[in-house]
Amino acid sequence: MTDSPPPSTPDPAPPDNSRRWSFEPAADHGLGPVEHLRSVKREAGLISVLTRALANFALAAWMKLYHRMSATGLEHLPRGTPFIMIANHSSHIDVLCLALALPHRLRTTTYPIAAGDVFFTTATTSALTALFVNALPLWRKKITTHALDELRERIGKGDCSYILFPEGALTHDGNLGTWKAGLGRLIAGSDVPVLPCYLQGAYESLAWNRVIPRPRKITIHIGPLLTFKDTPNTREGWQQVAEATRQAVLNLKP
Amino acid sequence: MYPMTTLFPTLGLAPLWNPSGAFSHPVTRYTCIFALAALIIAPILIHFARKRGLLSPQTQDTIHTRHRTWLFLAPALLIPILISPALTIIAFAIFSLICYREFARATGLFRWRGLSALVALAIILMNFAALDNWYGFFAALPPLCVVTFAGLSVLLDEPRGYLQRVGLATFAFLLIGVGLAHLSFLANSVQYRPYFCIILLCTQGSDFLTFLFGRLFGARHIFRHTSPDKTIGGFIGSFIFIAPLAAFLMHITIRGTQMDDPVNLTTLAVFGTLIAICAQLGDLVIGSIKRDIGIKDMAGTLPGHGGFLDRFNSVLLVAPVVFHFLKYFDAI
Repeated sequence: MTDSPPPSTPDPAPPDNSRRWSFEPAADHGLGPVEHLRSVKREAGLISVLTRALANFALAAWMKLYHRMSATGLEHLPRGTPFIMIANHSSHIDVLCLALALPHRLRTTTYPIAAGDVFFTTATTSALTALFVNALPLWRKKITTHALDELRERIGKGDCSYILFPEGALTHDGNLGTWKAGLGRLIAGSDVPVLPCYLQGAYESLAWNRVIPRPRKITIHIGPLLTFKDTPNTREGWQQVAEATRQAVLNLKP
Repeated sequence: MYPMTTLFPTLGLAPLWNPSGAFSHPVTRYTCIFALAALIIAPILIHFARKRGLLSPQTQDTIHTRHRTWLFLAPALLIPILISPALTIIAFAIFSLICYREFARATGLFRWRGLSALVALAIILMNFAALDNWYGFFAALPPLCVVTFAGLSVLLDEPRGYLQRVGLATFAFLLIGVGLAHLSFLANSVQYRPYFCIILLCTQGSDFLTFLFGRLFGARHIFRHTSPDKTIGGFIGSFIFIAPLAAFLMHITIRGTQMDDPVNLTTLAVFGTLIAICAQLGDLVIGSIKRDIGIKDMAGTLPGHGGFLDRFNSVLLVAPVVFHFLKYFDAI
């Protein structure tokens, strides 16, 4: 008597991850043209995606050719949203370097957090910053709990990521400054991971007091993700986040 | 009429700069004078109404904001019409794209970027057909575009929500893209300026009169669930003025042209009735969409008005009706 082969079972269908339809207006629905650009709830549309694709194409060429940009630790890049990419802030091109280090599928849902009092003062600068960099404003002179709560709530939904400079301002000597508590207020006690990066050569390329960039090599060092799920969402917790993430960025410095 | 072209290499695009005879037709002339007068008189009337205590500060603010928006909107609409047919088509193509953007962001369709880009491209093609005065292409595009939306959407392999998103894209394209492209195609007519003036005057007049008569004689509400402000008084009052106005203006426009003979009083009465009803229906169509989604305005693009779709909802259904009325009598 021979054993009959076990009945073959068809491969199970892959899980259906498709989205169920619901009428969900844009989060910034109903805002006027300029308020829309300045809103932290802004959702990118076709125009913004097209302008950014064009800008990124040109920037990638410039960064590769002029700054010989390279990256290490790319294996640490997360596969999807949400996450907060942080780095030392030494020049105005930092945000462009960090955004370019991300793959295209992550770039479309990643919003740099930019100083509202620098980049969102007029309708023109707001439009350029929103359309070409996809930045969301944070008003440094009047940072309110409400503004940070809005940002925390948005990233908590899980469909977007931020690029943030926890120092809050450009370094004037090329060294890492003190970390502000804002980062901790966004992620302490949540599942949102932090992606620490160290930008090498950006200060030498375009220091805070220079206008024309110099052709210095820029390297982005990317570290492993950090999470602060068990850190309390209190002043002490924010301080812990600041210290841990600052150390993580310092550790990446070659 | 501009020469008809049917092949791509032999584009017969309407001239971009041709303002000669911009004010030659009395309907265009008087519409422009009326618009200018309304923009000048409105703040004076508001001032007197405020002095007599007829307006609450909130209403006064709303009217002021609306008036300021009209100061930009009226020239943005009338100047391209006065300058040339091509500029009119380009202006209304941009207008259609803005309206589609508002629809897509209100319904959430914009998150399906590929499909949304296809609808935007289809709207641009419809207006290109109008710019080239290529009626064959213009007539072929709606079915072909719907086939494209349905066909390319399956490539994502996401059947859940397929019907809703393809349905929404098709509805948006047909209502906004195709509807307003009829206005663009109308610019190929020799007498396009008075036709545009009739459409804009009657639709905006209909909105205003429905509001005014609704306030004056608005005892009984209708379409309570679709548009809470609408009353029977508003509808009837607006209809009584707009239907004869549309018929009268059309009569003046076609007098002495090839349409004068076949178009009689009955035809004009039917035309006026259709315009007055479609203007009201367009308002209710956008009202239904807003109530279904659960929003107050389609967008915040125009301060005081909401979005372009809120301001020009009555044009959506009127445009194809006027176009096919004229087309039936060989005026285009």
